[in-house]
Amino acid sequence: MLSIKDLKASIEDGTQILKGINLEVKAGEVHAIMGPNGSGKSTLSKVIAGHPAYHVDGGSVTLDGKDLLQMEINERANSGLFISTQYPTEIPGVNNVEFLKMALNSKRAFLGLPEIGEAEFKKLIDEKMELLEMDERYRDRGVNEGYSGGEKKRNEILQMAILDPKVSLLDETDSGLDIDALRIVAGGINHIMGPDKAVILVTHYQRLLDYIKPDFVHVLRHGKIILSGGPELALELEEKGYDWIEEK
Amino acid sequence: MDAISRIKQIGMPRRNNELWTFFPVAKIPMPEFPETCNDTADYSDEEDFAALLPIAFNARTMRQDIADGANEMAMLKCNNDFGHTVLDIGKNATASLEILDNKVAHKICAERFDIHVGENATVHIFFANPADGVPLRFRHFRIVQEAGSKVYFSEIERGSGIKRTSLDAFLKGNGARLEIRSLNVLQDSDSVHHRITIRHEAPETESVQFARNLLNGKSNASYNGSVVVGANCSKVFSSQLVNTILLSEDSSVSVKPVLKIYHDDVECTHGNTCGELDAEQLFYLTSRGIPVEKARELLTQAFAKELFMPMPDSPAKERLEQVVSKL
Repeated sequence: MLSIKDLKASIEDGTQILKGINLEVKAGEVHAIMGPNGSGKSTLSKVIAGHPAYHVDGGSVTLDGKDLLQMEINERANSGLFISTQYPTEIPGVNNVEFLKMALNSKRAFLGLPEIGEAEFKKLIDEKMELLEMDERYRDRGVNEGYSGGEKKRNEILQMAILDPKVSLLDETDSGLDIDALRIVAGGINHIMGPDKAVILVTHYQRLLDYIKPDFVHVLRHGKIILSGGPELALELEEKGYDWIEEK
Repeated sequence: MDAISRIKQIGMPRRNNELWTFFPVAKIPMPEFPETCNDTADYSDEEDFAALLPIAFNARTMRQDIADGANEMAMLKCNNDFGHTVLDIGKNATASLEILDNKVAHKICAERFDIHVGENATVHIFFANPADGVPLRFRHFRIVQEAGSKVYFSEIERGSGIKRTSLDAFLKGNGARLEIRSLNVLQDSDSVHHRITIRHEAPETESVQFARNLLNGKSNASYNGSVVVGANCSKVFSSQLVNTILLSEDSSVSVKPVLKIYHDDVECTHGNTCGELDAEQLFYLTSRGIPVEKARELLTQAFAKELFMPMPDSPAKERLEQVVSKL
């Protein structure tokens, strides 16, 4: 489904952050990427999404065989990629629900489908907001405007639920969430996840993985995946940290 | 001294006159005044050429009184090159006044509004129509506010030509409040200029100046905003904020805040920001599948919409938001 091969990327001053990432994600799989601060985890999701602050130095990223790196940012999203960044951007003045509807209709237009009807959209958003136990305040406010850290993360998952992407790359979705919110957000992700979809979780902590069981855990360090394993690897990292991997 | 004599005394606007610092003064044609000035009032204190022009050209004066406690909505329109409107808003009255654009002006159009706002009256003054086809438009407001009165002065400037809004406000009574919101959505060679002077002449008076510019093409905007707080005016609040988004390389903005404060116990702020559309916001919207052009449109509209959000619900707010939604 998502295939990343020897992906290298740098920032404006030429510093290379990603130094050859290889990752194969198949439909139905949940991957977790862990690693110390500054290892390149957040950069990975932004580079795949097409953030203009990063320059791709080499390698490839394909989604269902299509070259994502050749696409515009919106085309990547409409092709089925969803990324949630660590710090979701606030956009005052752009109504959250109107934004969601516009995003959904952009995807539908890309896929050659007609715009969603009012009633159908209302039903969809009501259902997803209920799933994520979101209150009415989310409807009237600007996108992420004045939201707490936890509210922003919940709003990200609402977008994921509405846009129904093939592959979701969620960067530290668990940060800023209290225990109840973590349970609700993780429940939402599990609900959205299906056999034809894939999720990549970027996280520092095992606690998210208690709710969303990964099939594979990868350790990213110095811009490369240096170790991959099963779910047990996350437990080992929680216990021992990261230094033992390099020593090994 | 009548208006013609006063204009002759102060001379044509020049860039070294601080009321006209940023204005393209060379574009003002030399006026050919009538032989006599019908209005014989004394204008010897008037400093602004644009305030004198309609009087000097014997503009027809439209007077309207709004009675104490009345609630009125009105549309004001000038049908000649020069117009003069005198409004007296009674105590506790509520008024909503929309100024429509002059469609018959030729080379130059100048309007003057003298507005007296009685105690505890609330007035919305607003204009939002595009003023295409007028090469040069001056609009001058002289607003005198009594105690407890509230004035919401709101405008959206679009359309071709050179426009200048000047406003002299006198907050004479305790607790009077003036809110000015100006949105300029300019393109091509559009040129819009503001010269605002607010005089706080009583304690606990408040003024808010909030301007936002969306500038494309070779357009340019300027904001020259002065606040004067008198010596006996404690607990005055005044804020001035100008935000500009430059949507092209050739657009430009000039901002000059002037604060003259003669009392210590006041809160007066001013700020000015200028930049491009927020790259992170643009990325966020496009990363959700929205095409970049649509995302830019959303962000510019949001920037404009925010300006009028804090206004109290009113026909003025509704009209302004309606215009913004179609930008």
